[in-house]
Amino acid sequence: MTTTTRQSPVQTGLVPKKRRASGFPLLIAALAAAVVASTWLAVSIGAVHVALPQAWGIVADRLLPGFLTDGTPRTWTPVQEQIVWEFRLPRALLALLVGAGLAVVGAVLQALVRNPLADPFLLGISSGASFGAVLVLVLGASALGGLSLSAAAFAGSLLSLALVYTLAQRSGRLSPSRLVLAGVALAYLFQAAYSFVLQLAQSGRAAQQVLFWLMGSLGGARWHMLPLPAVVLAAGVTYLLLQHRPLNALAAGEETAVSLGVNVHRFRLTLFVLTSLLVGVLVATSGAIAFVGLIVPHAARLLVGADHRRVLPVSALLGAVFLQLVDIAARTVNAPQELALSIVTALFGVPFFLWLLRRRSVDRAVSVT
Amino acid sequence: MKLDLRGVSVTLDGHPIVHEADLRVDDGEFVALVGPNGCGKSTLLRSIYRALRPAAGLITVDGDDVHRLPARQAARRTAVLAQESPADLDFTVAEIVSMGRTPYKADAATDEELCARALERVGLTGAIERIFATLSGGEKQRVLLARALAQQTRLLLLDEPTSHLDIRHQLEILHLVRELGIATLAVLHDLNQAAAFCDRLYVMDAGHIVAGGPPDQVLTPDLICQVYGVRAVHRPQLVFERLKGE
Repeated sequence: MTTTTRQSPVQTGLVPKKRRASGFPLLIAALAAAVVASTWLAVSIGAVHVALPQAWGIVADRLLPGFLTDGTPRTWTPVQEQIVWEFRLPRALLALLVGAGLAVVGAVLQALVRNPLADPFLLGISSGASFGAVLVLVLGASALGGLSLSAAAFAGSLLSLALVYTLAQRSGRLSPSRLVLAGVALAYLFQAAYSFVLQLAQSGRAAQQVLFWLMGSLGGARWHMLPLPAVVLAAGVTYLLLQHRPLNALAAGEETAVSLGVNVHRFRLTLFVLTSLLVGVLVATSGAIAFVGLIVPHAARLLVGADHRRVLPVSALLGAVFLQLVDIAARTVNAPQELALSIVTALFGVPFFLWLLRRRSVDRAVSVT
Repeated sequence: MKLDLRGVSVTLDGHPIVHEADLRVDDGEFVALVGPNGCGKSTLLRSIYRALRPAAGLITVDGDDVHRLPARQAARRTAVLAQESPADLDFTVAEIVSMGRTPYKADAATDEELCARALERVGLTGAIERIFATLSGGEKQRVLLARALAQQTRLLLLDEPTSHLDIRHQLEILHLVRELGIATLAVLHDLNQAAAFCDRLYVMDAGHIVAGGPPDQVLTPDLICQVYGVRAVHRPQLVFERLKGE
């Protein structure tokens, strides 16, 4: 079919001038550099100042002993070394993992329920995980049959997702609007449940600590906490990247995905288990951090479009950098007091999000293919 | 023989919606499915593309039971233009069309070429990088048709492909489909259009297929009165056609 006589709206419309095929690898490289730079900064900044070259030296010395020590003298004190290696580096790495994980979960959930507002909070997953975690924190692991914090958080997030999933099911179809409504309702229910447990708790001090943790904090980060979230995140992101086409199809609609040969029931169930596992593991390490899962995927889509082959890696890197900067701010703005991370993500994230919404119609920074 | 339905019954939430439907679409045929709202047309269509599993009966495409085929195999045989729009996630036209390649092993060069050809076929080559949500209704349908073409199937199912389109775009999409020469089963609302475009049509009423055959034999005033409860009368009236060269 040719449109010769009349000019179709397509020809008058927003046809991009030229394609920038190299844009995507460049963006990934830039984000990876930002991850390194922000982490370096995070390791250096704090109550005990460690200059950037020294911070670099401490980490390099630990990672490659003997490689740098031969020629270069150690210009740092043992205290500085201990602070950087024992506390700041694990904390900075955990920030990267949690930021990346929450952003990826948000991107997946938004495709899964076909709703740009979806995030672990809206669907009640975070509250479920928090409920599980609070039970362990307040009652003690022994009261729950020795369930670890991670396991309890995962159980909570899986329970809430299973409930939301069942409630949103109608004649074999999943209604996205019912999913969101059920999620919001259950989020309130779980919040009420853990608040109740907190009120019952004897020690007001413990309750306060738990409340602070619920708003998100990386303050407890130690090396031994890193392997589990790292493995779960790596496995999850690998699986999701391999499944980027079914994810795209699912975002286009349940029936469409079926007609494109996606086994929707099985795939969706896998995604639900994967996202609750990720959220459970992350909440167990850092509490419930709001907004990352909502904002970061949108920012990623504004940069690279909706194709999950690009959205997932960009979300992960962007989320990592974002949470690293947020944690630096949380530690420094009101030092020596630390702010809860959700306060900072909201203060920085919401205006940024609103600004993004305003300029939504603007061309993407990186074009397709 | 492409598509063959034998005694297909479908129930939704325990309510029988389709009763023992027999239907057939041959190679290269354009077959319409018409009937009043709620008669079960879309439900029947959904059971063919596996969104619903029939309670009884057999649905075969190229001789194989579609509900026993692996999901991807089935999707390589049947493409659908359903009444569903993508989530508000700003997919581009290129991204939507390349979804048609989901049932196949990824191969960037082949996929890109097939998508480009599909877009050319529907006359939207220039729109490849536009955001799907910003397109007009007619353009959207053509993009979804391009996605179905990229899926490279020999059977195409359409669920009211012309709803929400003005008369010019209705004709445009129907001509496009007609010219593809792919076996097509289309749920249509406009009886005049169905009669003008299809080789054969089936009429459904309250879950039963009550008639089937060439339009001039099936769409009798008696049947229309029985099914729709309206009187069909011959009157001289305007007939709409596309301009030559379009």
